[in-house]
Amino acid sequence: MKAIYKVTDTLLLGLHSISVHKFRSFLTALGILFGVWSVIAMLAINEGASYESQQALREMGTDNLIAESIKPPPEESSAARERGAMSYGLTHDDVRSLADNIPGVLRYVTVHRTEKSAQRGRRSIHVQVLGTSPTYLEMARLRLTAGRFLSPADGIRARNCCVITQSLGRRLFTYEDPIGQTLRLDGDSFVVIGLVAEPSRSFAGITAEMINNLVFVPRETDVERFGRYTILRTGSSSMMELVQVSQVILQMASEEAVIEGAKIARSLLVRRHDKTDYEVTVPLELIEQRRKQRRLWNIVFFFIASVSLVVGGIGIMNVMLASVNERIREIGIRRALGAKRRDIVVQFLVEAVTLTTVGGLMGIAVGMLVPVIVEKVLKLKTIISAPTVVLPFIMAVVVGLVSGLYPAKRAADLDPIRALRHE
Amino acid sequence: MNELVRLDRVHKYYRMGHSSVHALDGVSFTIGEGEYVAIMGASGSGKSTLLNLLGCLDRPSEGAYLIGGQDVSGLNDSQLSDIRGRHIGFVFQSFNLIGQLTVLANIEIPLFYQGVPRSQRHAHSQELAELVGLGDRVTHRPTELSGGQQQRVALARAMANDPLLILADEPTGNLDSHTTGEILALFDTLWARGRTIITVTHEDHVAERTERIIHLVDGQIDSDVRTGRTVESLT
Repeated sequence: MKAIYKVTDTLLLGLHSISVHKFRSFLTALGILFGVWSVIAMLAINEGASYESQQALREMGTDNLIAESIKPPPEESSAARERGAMSYGLTHDDVRSLADNIPGVLRYVTVHRTEKSAQRGRRSIHVQVLGTSPTYLEMARLRLTAGRFLSPADGIRARNCCVITQSLGRRLFTYEDPIGQTLRLDGDSFVVIGLVAEPSRSFAGITAEMINNLVFVPRETDVERFGRYTILRTGSSSMMELVQVSQVILQMASEEAVIEGAKIARSLLVRRHDKTDYEVTVPLELIEQRRKQRRLWNIVFFFIASVSLVVGGIGIMNVMLASVNERIREIGIRRALGAKRRDIVVQFLVEAVTLTTVGGLMGIAVGMLVPVIVEKVLKLKTIISAPTVVLPFIMAVVVGLVSGLYPAKRAADLDPIRALRHE
Repeated sequence: MNELVRLDRVHKYYRMGHSSVHALDGVSFTIGEGEYVAIMGASGSGKSTLLNLLGCLDRPSEGAYLIGGQDVSGLNDSQLSDIRGRHIGFVFQSFNLIGQLTVLANIEIPLFYQGVPRSQRHAHSQELAELVGLGDRVTHRPTELSGGQQQRVALARAMANDPLLILADEPTGNLDSHTTGEILALFDTLWARGRTIITVTHEDHVAERTERIIHLVDGQIDSDVRTGRTVESLT
């Protein structure tokens, strides 16, 4: 019981001493405030940024193993011309080899891309035509917003039907509902049967500005109507490219199979290709990488921000030393009236910790406000988690303890007789 | 009369650079419960050293010091703090009140370190403030009081822990003759209530108010005489 009275009373005593020097205490607490809020703000922004990038990767599917054809550097490609067309990338043989040799492949789907102009009346828009199978919707995590996606029957009959991205529909058909309408690709009419949301990330060599202009057609239709070539227009000149498979998505049985499969896929493709005209993308690996990155940045930010906490701690020590020097007589009086060394240590420690606690609480308030402003003004996602707030606060308290220890010890070690006579 | 304080061949040496100062040179005396004693001596006679020892602020180099039958000469810092907090009340020449605290909070300090609950502390301190005639000033700061009033607060504080022994160090040294009279009257009151008081002074008129005067010369007792004043004569 005695101890409890002492604790609360010592706390009140500490608050009292701080309130006597309001301005000085405020300035000191300010040092801690900056330290705490900068740690919180930095961690919150970093967490938010890494969450966003991880989310984008998660949309690609963590059980997927993706291989894509990419255009090799020009000096390598000059050698690989086939009938005036540049040939590169993944082949159907590659895909079969991957599917046969990688254990744990549940299913796979391929995409063949060509560039065309989509026409509707007098309107013409440059589009990416993607010949693929019905399972692509699910495996590529596309979101259907109207109508339906390609069906097996569409493929068997090689129907002239297509699914387009929402924004393409808006631009081609303006006020009309695109479903059931027709558009022309290379002179052939295609009926629009569904709309999908725009993918959040570019794929299969599609540039970011083209990501909104997608036309999905059945694979069989694609082969029959458009063949294997794609014509690329670069400025005034046009160029033929031959790519058999633009993208293949392999769905794996488990996350372990994804990691193991990625190794096999890479070594297989290295052997089958003499140039790097493909890319293996493993969302799961990327997420892991981002996680590691995030952890690394968290540590870096944490240390940078901790510097200001340490500076704040030095400020506290300074003020506490000044406070001890001003109160030598008081310390002597307290010692004469029965205060033990420990009582004096506790008194000054409580003062230092109270200062940092007040600074820490203010820092939390500001630190939680700043990410909100960052989110509003800079449109950056921020995440304030419990550890992001609690950790800097605990650190502030520890800084208070550490920086208060030396002044408190000095106060307690004063000789009571001399302290009493101090002028 | 029960014996309260016993000094048995107490020596105190101070090291000053290479030489050593023999501040107390075999001092022995006893003081009974309820006695009012003055310790006199020229500066350098060892009276401050003696006061520090009696107040458990310091330890004798040699010899024994018993207070209430307990030998305190071998205690450590923490134990001495405890003895001070429980058994000794100090009154200083320069009052030694804490300027940032109210009168009431100043009186409470010894109780604070004894772990007395706040409500009890408040009530007891209020009583003591009234005893010294400052019941209406408890929320004032020491700087708002006159010297005499400050010394009254110090006296109330010295009484707070109900000490065995009140030690006064030149208690009227900073006061004018009128307030000196008031403070000495207050000491008489405490004496009449059965308190044991030791006052260190170099002023004869302060010493004459006690019942016994111990004279120190060069760290030794030169004389130990009765003044003829008794607690019974107060009424």
